[in-house]
Amino acid sequence: MAALIEVASPHSAPTAAPRHAIRILLRSPMGAIGAAMLLLALVVAVAAPLIAPYDPYETVHVTIEDIYQKPSLAHPLGTDDAGKDVLSGLIYGARVSLLVGFSAASIALLIGGLIGIVAGYRGGRVGSALMRFTDFFLVIPDLALSIVIVAIAGQSLTNIILVIGALGWTTTARLVRSQTLSVRERKYVLRARAIGAGDRHILRHHILPQVLPLMLANMVLVISLAVLAESTLAFIGLGDPTVISWGQMLNFAFGRGAVSAGAWWALLTPGFAIVWVVLGTTLLGTALEEALNPRLKRHYLEKDRSLAIPPRSAADLALPAPTRDPNGPILQVRDLAIEFESPGGLLRAVDGVSFDLRRGETIGLVGESGSGKTTAMLGMMRLLAPGGRVVGGEVLLDGEDVLSLPDAELRAVRWSRISVVFQGAMNALNPVRTVGDQVAEAIRVHEPGVGRDVPRVRAEELLERVGIGRRRFDTHPHAYSGGMRQRAMIALALACRPEVIVADEPTTALDVMVQAQIMELLASLGREMGMGTILVTHDLGVVASSCDRVLVMYGGRIAEEGPTSTLFSDPQHPYAQMLLASFPDIAAPDRELRGIPGTPPRLDAMPPGCSFAPRCPAAFDRCRIERPDDYRVAEGRRAACFLLDPEASHRG
Amino acid sequence: MKGRAAYLASRVGWALLTIFVVVTFNFLLFRILPGDPARNVSKDPRLTPATVAALTVRFGLDKPVLINTESGNPFDSQYFIYLGSLTRGDLGISYAFRDRSVGELLGGALVNTLWLILPAQILSIGLGMVLGLLAAWRRGRSLDVSALTFSLFMWSLPTFFLGIILLFAGSSWFGLPTAGRITVGAEFGSYWEELADIGRHLLMPTLAFTLVLLGEYMLIMRSSVVEVFSEDYILTAKAKGLTTFQIIRDHALRNAMLPMVTLIAINLGFTVSGAIQIESVFSWPGLGSLTVSAVRDRDYPVLQGAFLLLAIAVVIANLLADLVYGWLDPRVSEA
Repeated sequence: MAALIEVASPHSAPTAAPRHAIRILLRSPMGAIGAAMLLLALVVAVAAPLIAPYDPYETVHVTIEDIYQKPSLAHPLGTDDAGKDVLSGLIYGARVSLLVGFSAASIALLIGGLIGIVAGYRGGRVGSALMRFTDFFLVIPDLALSIVIVAIAGQSLTNIILVIGALGWTTTARLVRSQTLSVRERKYVLRARAIGAGDRHILRHHILPQVLPLMLANMVLVISLAVLAESTLAFIGLGDPTVISWGQMLNFAFGRGAVSAGAWWALLTPGFAIVWVVLGTTLLGTALEEALNPRLKRHYLEKDRSLAIPPRSAADLALPAPTRDPNGPILQVRDLAIEFESPGGLLRAVDGVSFDLRRGETIGLVGESGSGKTTAMLGMMRLLAPGGRVVGGEVLLDGEDVLSLPDAELRAVRWSRISVVFQGAMNALNPVRTVGDQVAEAIRVHEPGVGRDVPRVRAEELLERVGIGRRRFDTHPHAYSGGMRQRAMIALALACRPEVIVADEPTTALDVMVQAQIMELLASLGREMGMGTILVTHDLGVVASSCDRVLVMYGGRIAEEGPTSTLFSDPQHPYAQMLLASFPDIAAPDRELRGIPGTPPRLDAMPPGCSFAPRCPAAFDRCRIERPDDYRVAEGRRAACFLLDPEASHRG
Repeated sequence: MKGRAAYLASRVGWALLTIFVVVTFNFLLFRILPGDPARNVSKDPRLTPATVAALTVRFGLDKPVLINTESGNPFDSQYFIYLGSLTRGDLGISYAFRDRSVGELLGGALVNTLWLILPAQILSIGLGMVLGLLAAWRRGRSLDVSALTFSLFMWSLPTFFLGIILLFAGSSWFGLPTAGRITVGAEFGSYWEELADIGRHLLMPTLAFTLVLLGEYMLIMRSSVVEVFSEDYILTAKAKGLTTFQIIRDHALRNAMLPMVTLIAINLGFTVSGAIQIESVFSWPGLGSLTVSAVRDRDYPVLQGAFLLLAIAVVIANLLADLVYGWLDPRVSEA
């Protein structure tokens, strides 16, 4: 399914480039609001002597009557427990909060960054010792420890900054370590090391540029934590008594009768000043993190937005209109079209795919990565990755359109009538449930009437049948080998005796011997149970040995279709010809192998005419303007290429 | 089963090591930093020299700090005496309450703190998981957006400030008490009346604590559920024809709980800091209030004991979380 995700998001870099990140940040309202809030606090702090109506450090003119005065023109936010102007205190308090926030965060970042880079870059014993050290600090309750230290060492601003900084570095260290680790293993760093670059060079030119932007985002969040920590210490009575801070204003007001005097202004305003700064930094930090490290935005359980649009009338010259005949093909796909949402608009990944699958037949769907094979198969069952949807076509299973079924009926069709052998069975099986239970679950869901014991018995038989053995029923997937997992996936796919089975690259990443066994197993079980099988693969050897018919896909369309033997011996579409020429043939070992020059088109840059035209040696003007329809080549054979247009004069 | 035993042993070993480091760190902290208790006792101008000498001997402050190199017994030092008394559960005697042992003070306070922490933790974990799950499922919809906004705001609100707001609101609108555990001097007709009075005192602190914890748990659960919902095995479950409810219950919940368990454990430090703040706002006589009053009185034995107790509690809670994790995730314990 990795290919599918590549299709959905053309950018695959894990961390966006810094310049790109700034663009995203500026467009995010969260980041802009946060930055503005923080900027205002900074301006107030710097300009405090200019804008504060009174000097809060000046106490000479205060009298008893001034205590807890309501807001008035002279005191816009009233007065506090000592009769001082609350607004002036707030303005000067911004200085302390921001000073502590920035200084403590710098200390934390320095410690955390150093520990993280060393742990990530050196790895091994030093790395794990440093991470143990970090874990230890993560466990210590930090407020309790800072209370103890400030109480013993003395309540000065310097001590408070040092304590908050020295206890606030753990998240930074973990973050920097994992980023360093991942950068260290990237290809260009390994290459630089291979040609003899020293540690200093690699750190300066490869690690730091990737780690610093992340640290910047993290710093913003650490500042918010430091501001919170300072105000908490001050509220508890451990602030520096010589300076005015918001936490201390709250401490005095709360401790000296503001609640009973009803002096809400003295209590609420310093609190909301803290919220202002912390909210601003949090918004900015979250937006920065989001911009640098775009998270997964969509998931599989979001509502299916597939639309069933009737097929275009002029299409499908070579295929008959679908029939509802019970003896006809089990699966008839007509003009299936699938689109994906992307930042640049909708991308068409599958564009008018049509084919038939007869009962008991095995067809091969071949093509390069990104040609839309897997997407077409998942779209058929309305199982597209988030952001993808079926925008047209028909999928008739035994005469019934799967695309227009209501949800409950669709669920009944899934697995009991069409099932899938997913590629990469490691991730396709749930790691925290036993393999046998996952097989039995399919039977339990689709045949609720069979009772409690039958699903287990049948699942055990299936495991036996695919060569795993019933003794491994209660084992979790991680304890299986790759080949065993693939077998388990096949057992799972067969659990409800489906009429159609889609095998998506069932043997990729397995060694050749196991590949052959799995294919043999799939083919024999398919014949035995009378299932129609669609084998999605890029391995032409597997197709030659196990498929009755072949569909060659390119750029989201079917380029050519035909019986395996004739298509392999006499391919008509230039792409099919070149694909076959690039594959070794045991029967003709002396034949020269030729790769296909160029790369498949990107979805966001599809050529206007035939999608293969840019790579096609036989392309002429018409191919670059008009899209070729299917042309019937012989009985049961078709190809989408203007070279086969009987009405046009052939060139070359 | 060999894997499970090894996992268990390594986690217990790590916890014991951490506790040992915490104990030593705690001992050294109070002797290295300026203003250590020895000097503090001897500088008190109210005490006569004879009393100072007696106190110095009583607290063992005349002995070497780490290792006794003078007498024949190297273990006759402050550190080993401290370790020895710890194993007997003897944490010393409070400076501020001269006749009461630190252990006794801490024990009473711990019970009160648990009264405060446990209901809030249970409520916030339960609510946080449900709301986080719903927000992830309805990602980008109004429920999700309001959950995120709430979490963001809760994160930015200092715990003590939320406590003050609720105390203000509770006392002026609902006539709830503002301080303490129980109405002072009140006579109760039955045990239930007494319990109801304690409940009235607990209402606002518990609400404040729940709200503070809820935002964070909700956020963690949400991101962990979104992560799980994007896994390939969820696609398999969907292809198998399971309903959304079945997928969530049988395939997503347990997997999404894994990061939750770890983060609840890591968050315990945060819980302790929340307890300290809420207890000092509501004058709830727990460990947090005891710590703050010990700071005010410079009551070092109590401060030392309270910190040790809090740190060890967090270590043990982390150990429990590790064990739950191993039980939830077969990959950890079954290898």
